[in-house]
Amino acid sequence: MKLLLRISIFLVFVLCSCSTNKVLQDYTSVPLEKKIFEVPYFSNPAMDYVYKANITVYGHELTGIFIAKKINDTTHRVVFTTEFGNKLMDFEISEDNFKVNSIVSELDRKILINTLEEDFRLLLKKEYLVQKQFENESDNIYKSADGNRDNYLFYSKKNHQLEKIVRSSKTKEKFMLIFITENNIFAERVQIIHQNIKLKIDLNYFKSE
Amino acid sequence: MKIRSYIIVLFLIGFQLKCFAQEQKMSESEISAFKQSVVAISKKIKTLSTDFVQYKHLDFLSKDIETSGKMIFKEPNSLLWQYKKPYNYSIVFKNGKILINDEGKKSAVDIGNSKLFGKINKLIVGSVSGDLFDDKEFSISYFKIKDQNSARFIPKDATLKKYIKQIELTFDKEDATVVQVKLLESSADYTRIVLKNKVINAKVDEASFAN
Repeated sequence: MKLLLRISIFLVFVLCSCSTNKVLQDYTSVPLEKKIFEVPYFSNPAMDYVYKANITVYGHELTGIFIAKKINDTTHRVVFTTEFGNKLMDFEISEDNFKVNSIVSELDRKILINTLEEDFRLLLKKEYLVQKQFENESDNIYKSADGNRDNYLFYSKKNHQLEKIVRSSKTKEKFMLIFITENNIFAERVQIIHQNIKLKIDLNYFKSE
Repeated sequence: MKIRSYIIVLFLIGFQLKCFAQEQKMSESEISAFKQSVVAISKKIKTLSTDFVQYKHLDFLSKDIETSGKMIFKEPNSLLWQYKKPYNYSIVFKNGKILINDEGKKSAVDIGNSKLFGKINKLIVGSVSGDLFDDKEFSISYFKIKDQNSARFIPKDATLKKYIKQIELTFDKEDATVVQVKLLESSADYTRIVLKNKVINAKVDEASFAN
């Protein structure tokens, strides 16, 4: 039994180290066109970004209203409320700061807060420093290093807009953001999909009258 | 410069006086008469349906978030709260169950004897009918404004208090029914619900609560 355990641990170790990053299969490397990639979708300080939110986490569904607003040059305020308007969480988030203004005790779990912090930071990030560029038939892909993670920005050649961001470790995808946009200024719909945990966040823009 | 300061100070004092004039605390006899009239009306309510507009105010936003829909109540405890704009989302409280319909996607939660949900149900119905006058649950204060009365309820229950700091109900002076519900989360952030086209004791089909 012990031997079997050792073999399995060894196998897991070997298999993990053999796996390579799958984000960029079938893409070819091309010369770098630009060093900075700007994402417009949450960058306008004059705009209230209000979305209907559906969160699916390990089979449980949570719905409500997602609100983001750029409150100064570096920081966004992010609030999640129920449909009735009760605030469930209230964060302030910038590139290197994160502050929890309030959170209801039912959601006050370190692992959840850390996950949302990483998700929202990527969602609200305006500028990416690009180190490498790739392409295939449909997309230009910009690779931007971010600590021990890499972000891959997929820019559709056909629609001339950013449609996907994949956040990855050196070996595998962590989560991705999918943007659906009509005017390339803000996103009508955003999906945050995790690969290693069963978490999906679906945001649909509030159409006012 | 000095004159200008005086004018500003006078303006501010005047403004404050005006505020005081707009809202006055009720006397004991006024409170008892007001409570009697509201309770009398709410006792007669067998069914109630109303349109509503909800304004979510967050201090950092440039404008309130507006949603609207319809609410239907039927004795003893069936309640439908339905948002129609900008999305379809409805929630039904009925026989110890919560039924949710989110753009056609349905789910149900069995709340059984959940104390909190029982309180929320009572709170919503009480807010719309006006009869929330339970001294055990709330510390209550009463005010009169020109053609309206208002009552402010501060929850005593610790769990409820976490979500709602204060509930403020505004009543039409004429017919003693609720015209506005304001739920305060903090001094700066609140939800304001304006009730319109209220119909009392019209026939309400049980199918309204099927969701």
